[in-house]
Order: sequence, then structure tokens, then C-alpha cells
Amino acid sequence: MSQSSRLSPCVLIVEPSAEEREVLRTSLERRGMRIWEAAEAKAGLELARLHEPDVIVLDLETQHAEDEQVQFEYGSQAVADARPALIILGRACRTIALPKDQVIAKPYHYGPLIHKIEQLAAKAA
Amino acid sequence: MATLFVMQGRDKGKRFDVRTEALTMGRDGTNRIQLNDSEISRRHAEVLRSDNGIRLTDLNSSNGTFVNTEKIDVRLLKNGDRVQVGRTLLLFTDADDRSSVNLAHDVNIVGLGEIEGSRIVRTVGHDSGSQLFQPPDMAESPWLARARSNLQIMYRTALAVSHTLDIDQLLGRIVDLIFEWVESDRGCIMLVDHETGELTPAASRNRKGVRADDRISISRTILDYVMQHKEGVLTSDARDDERWNSEGSIVRLGVREAICVPMQGRYGIVGVIYIDTYTPPSAAIQQRTFSNSSNKFSEEHLKLMVAIGHQAALAVEDTSYYSAMLQAERLAVMGQTIATLSHHIKNILQGIRGGSYLIEEGLKGDDNDVVRRGWRIVDKNQERISNLVMDMLTFSKPREPDLCLADLNETLSDVVELMQARAGEAAVQLVFEPRRDLPQFCFDPELLHRAVLNVVTNAIDACEKRAGARVEVTTEFATGDQFVHIVVADNGEGIAPEDIPRIFSVFESRKGSRGTGLGLPVSQKIIREHGGEIRVESTLGAGSRFYLELPSQLSPPTASRDTLGPNATLGSEAFE
Repeated sequence: MSQSSRLSPCVLIVEPSAEEREVLRTSLERRGMRIWEAAEAKAGLELARLHEPDVIVLDLETQHAEDEQVQFEYGSQAVADARPALIILGRACRTIALPKDQVIAKPYHYGPLIHKIEQLAAKAA
Repeated sequence: MATLFVMQGRDKGKRFDVRTEALTMGRDGTNRIQLNDSEISRRHAEVLRSDNGIRLTDLNSSNGTFVNTEKIDVRLLKNGDRVQVGRTLLLFTDADDRSSVNLAHDVNIVGLGEIEGSRIVRTVGHDSGSQLFQPPDMAESPWLARARSNLQIMYRTALAVSHTLDIDQLLGRIVDLIFEWVESDRGCIMLVDHETGELTPAASRNRKGVRADDRISISRTILDYVMQHKEGVLTSDARDDERWNSEGSIVRLGVREAICVPMQGRYGIVGVIYIDTYTPPSAAIQQRTFSNSSNKFSEEHLKLMVAIGHQAALAVEDTSYYSAMLQAERLAVMGQTIATLSHHIKNILQGIRGGSYLIEEGLKGDDNDVVRRGWRIVDKNQERISNLVMDMLTFSKPREPDLCLADLNETLSDVVELMQARAGEAAVQLVFEPRRDLPQFCFDPELLHRAVLNVVTNAIDACEKRAGARVEVTTEFATGDQFVHIVVADNGEGIAPEDIPRIFSVFESRKGSRGTGLGLPVSQKIIREHGGEIRVESTLGAGSRFYLELPSQLSPPTASRDTLGPNATLGSEAFE
């Protein structure tokens, strides 16, 4: 049994902008979620392996996120047992096949993004 | 790197790199070289790098593939080859072309005595050389005089058509030169329209005294002949005219003569030059009486015009090519600028949306702390967009600094105070250690504020979150010094030696999405506009020191009546 099924939903935010991480963290914590953050894609992968989040939010502008191998690892994590669910901020990439509503173009509105994270977290739980 | 550059056609200005893999060319979206040209096939040709060089293969296209006007099935391309597919003309260039690689190895520069028996036989100075182009001496043989005259004309034509990128200016010069050398009344240049293939008038002139509204009518038969046979023609409506025998007709009609020559370029005809002259009836009869001919134009004129036409065509080709290259460069720079700025604005917009969302969240939950955090993000991004706009404005236009005597320490103190909050967030200690006895200097306080602000911002970013991070701003000046130095030092990550030459280039940022790539170029521009310089010393892993050198001897402009504002008053004696 993973940590996430025992506790409140867990979200990993992989995002280079401290401001955007702060907005997401504050908003999601207010909704009772646990948050892990990384400003760099490879560090994000380590956190993902360690904490098994329910949802990963990956910004493609994060350092190393354009690396195909890194994308592949995020993709394979997401596909394994449909958890963690992956949301990509930026544009669709060839390496990771995702439903359209899990790829969110920038600049995005936070309301729909938070709502999507809540949906995926609830589904995973 | 080998490239195909589109010189003519709807994709004019596009450049395609030819790498190792095969590239297909066609109008279909699956081609790596996709061309918007209805006259080319969906898959028209293939470009492939082979052991022998770059090979172009026609893929059984409907309208064929041409290299230097010759239809080809397969051809190894050479540097400078022109590839025509449909209405699209591409120039092939290959920087690795083997034919131009080893030339320098075959040349040795040696002392005069090292070549046995070598001696200087005769010398000719620059002046002697140019004598060749002086007007012919009337005493020398007519043949030599004519040859020298023609050589002079061609030499001057070559000079006149060089150094211009403006096709209209170029054509105007050519017509002017023709009028100078050939006694014509009217002249025009028609260029081949690349879209329609038709000849289109591009420049025309009337000799002074000839009515400007006298339209030039050119026989379609003559134009077709010149284009098809690639030959110049001389026509006269009196020569070989049976009516010539009747002086009565000359009295009525006069004589109209014309020369029409092709503009034969390296790879095809780019247009035609047409000139004509009209001899009124009375002059024609007089001329015929004395010289047994009523004609002003001779075969000699025709030959000269053919040579001028060729020279002009080469110049038109070169000008078109350079104009297309320039346009492509402009478009590329414009595209890069728009893309870079859009990216920064998009990030700022994202920040504002995030801050606004937090404010909304805080208001909904009556949580002032969240509201404050949201507002801080909005405020910061508001500042970022303001800085971006100011940097763009400062960078985009030359500006004369508004010099005035001011306190440099005060300006620097303002910058440091403004940046304290940001330094605090980044856990950086920002200190200002001014030289206390600094005299007042002449500078533009607003511009200098921006220049220093950008450097200090970079310094804070460079050492953000590092242990013991510190940015120090100091001033250095000794009486009599030509420059006052503003020094911004940080103990951040430093700059690699190979990166230092690029840090003042626009849109070169090492800060990822946080940097606009405008800060340091703007600072450099401002300091240079003051007559100073900005330089950097850096050690990777240890930090950087930026020196902003400002001339200490600048003086404010003296106020004159022109420079005073509308509400300024002058002494009463000024109006007396």
C-alpha cells in the first residue's frame, strides 16, 4: 500500500518558477493536499520515486525536462499503474502520450489547473 | 554547412540546411524543403549528401529541375549553383566545398632573392594605371581610341553598378550612364517578373527636352526576339524602308531608331534595356545629305549596349541576392526578438495570474496572509513588466543622456534601497559602501539608475541562495582621475571565460526563464552613451566584479534659447 492511499492526496510540483510553485503549493495545501516541490526535473524524478505522489505537475521549461530520457522516465512512471497521474505545463511532447486535458498550454489560468489536479488526485485515491 | 537559400519565389528568404540525411523538396507538407509553389510537384526533387558531395536528384517531377538553367536528372551541386524548381530559385552554398579549401596551401610568400633570377623589370604606379581610363587622345588611331573609350565606359559601368543594395537606385544609375554615352532620347529597363515571367518596366528616363508624356511603345516582336535569341537588336524605321527613297516621307515622318539588348546574367536573362532616338525630318535630310546616312545608332553602339546589358544584369543579380539575404536576416532577427519578448511577457503574465489567484483565494477564505502573498507576486511581476518595457525602450533607440550635475552616491543609494527587498528574498546581503568625499559629477541620473539597477539585479541572481551570499556596491575615484568607477561585486557562481564575450549581447541570458537578456546590453549602452565603458572580471565559482566607468569630466549642455522650454524666461535684454 502506497503512502498516498493512507494519507491525504500528494502532489509533486516540478516547476522552475518559485512564484508558480508558491501559488500551486498554497492553493493545494488549502485543499488539504500534501505537496512536494522540485525546481529541476531530475530532482523531481527522485522525489517521485521516494514519495509516490498521486499527481505530478511537470513544467516543460524546467531544467532537463526537455531531455527525452527524462521525459521517458516521467512518462513510464505515469503509465505504470495510472498513478501518479501526470499533468504537463507547456505543450504536448512526443515522448509522453497524455490525454489532451492533461497538457496545459501557458499562460494558463490557475482555477482550471487546480480543479484538474483535484480531479486526478481524487481518482488516484 | 551546405545550405539552399530561396532567392526568388513565395518562400524568398528561407534557408534550408543540408545535413547528412536525405531532404526531399516539394510542395507537400511531408517534404523537409516545402515550397509554396504551384508549379512544383508534391515530391519534386531530393537533396542528399554523398561521399562526392551534395547530390540533387529530380524525382520525375512534372516541370523538371534545373541547375544553372540546365535541366537535370541527377547533379552534384557546386558552391554558387542556382537550382530552379517551378518559379522558385534557390542558391546552393557550401562552406565545406573542397574546391575552395586548399587554395592557400599552394601559395608561399618568399623573399625576392629566393626565386632564382627574379627581378623587378618595371613598376607602374596607381596614377599610370588609371591613365588607361582617361578620354582617348584624338591623335591615336580611331580603332585604339574607340577601344579605349569602350573600356573606359565598361570600367565606369562596373564602378557605377557596385555598392548598392537598392534595385531602383541601381537601375536609375544604369539608365543615366547609358544616356551619358549613347545619344538616345528615351530609355527604359524592363525586368523579368519572377511570378509571371513577363517583362515589367522598372526604370525609364527621357533626355532633357524630350516630352515626359511621350510614352515609349516597344514592339512585342522585338522584345520576344531579344528574349528568345538572347541577342541585341538595332532597328530603324527608315533603314531598308522603301519610303526612304522618297524624301517626301522623311519630311513627313522623320526617323525613329532603337536598340534593345538582353540583360544576360550568369544564369539567364533578367530583363532587357531599350533605348531609342528620334531624328526630326529636317535633321534627317541634312544628316543624309552630309553622311549618306540618316542614322545616329551604329553597330558599335549595339555592341556597347550588349556589354552594358551584361554588366547591368550581373549587378541586378547580385543586388537581388543581397537584398534577399538582408531581408532574410531581418526576418530572422525580428522573429527571434518577437519570440524572446513574447516568452518573457508570457512568464510575467503567468506570475500576475498566479498572484491574482492567490488574492482571490485569500479573499474567499478571509485569509489575509494569502492575500498578502498574492499581492507580493502581482507587485513583483508588475515591476518586472515595467523593467522589461524600460529596457526595451532604452535599448531600441539612441538617446543623448540628459546630463546634469548630480550626486552619484545618492543615485546608487536609491538603487540599493530599491533592491533590498529582492536581495532579502534571495537571502543575499546587499551593501553599499560609498566613497564619502565623492564630488558631484555630470551624468543622467535616470539612465544611470537603470544601468546600475540591471547590474545589481544580475549580481543578486548570481549568488541567490548561496551560503554567505553578498553583493557589494562601491565607488572609486581619486582627484584628477578621468573616470569614476562604480563597482558591483558578488560572490556568486561567476562566469565561465568563454561566456564573458556574450554577456553583453542582446537576448543572451544565463538565467533561464528569469532573464530577459536585455539587462546588461542596456547597461552597456547607457554607460557608452555617457562616453564610458563597462567591463567585468570573473572567476568561476568565486564571483564577479563589474566595473562601470563613467567619465568624470562631462559637462552639462549650456542652455540656449533653443533648448529652453516654452515657459522659460530670458533676461529682458535678450528681447531688446
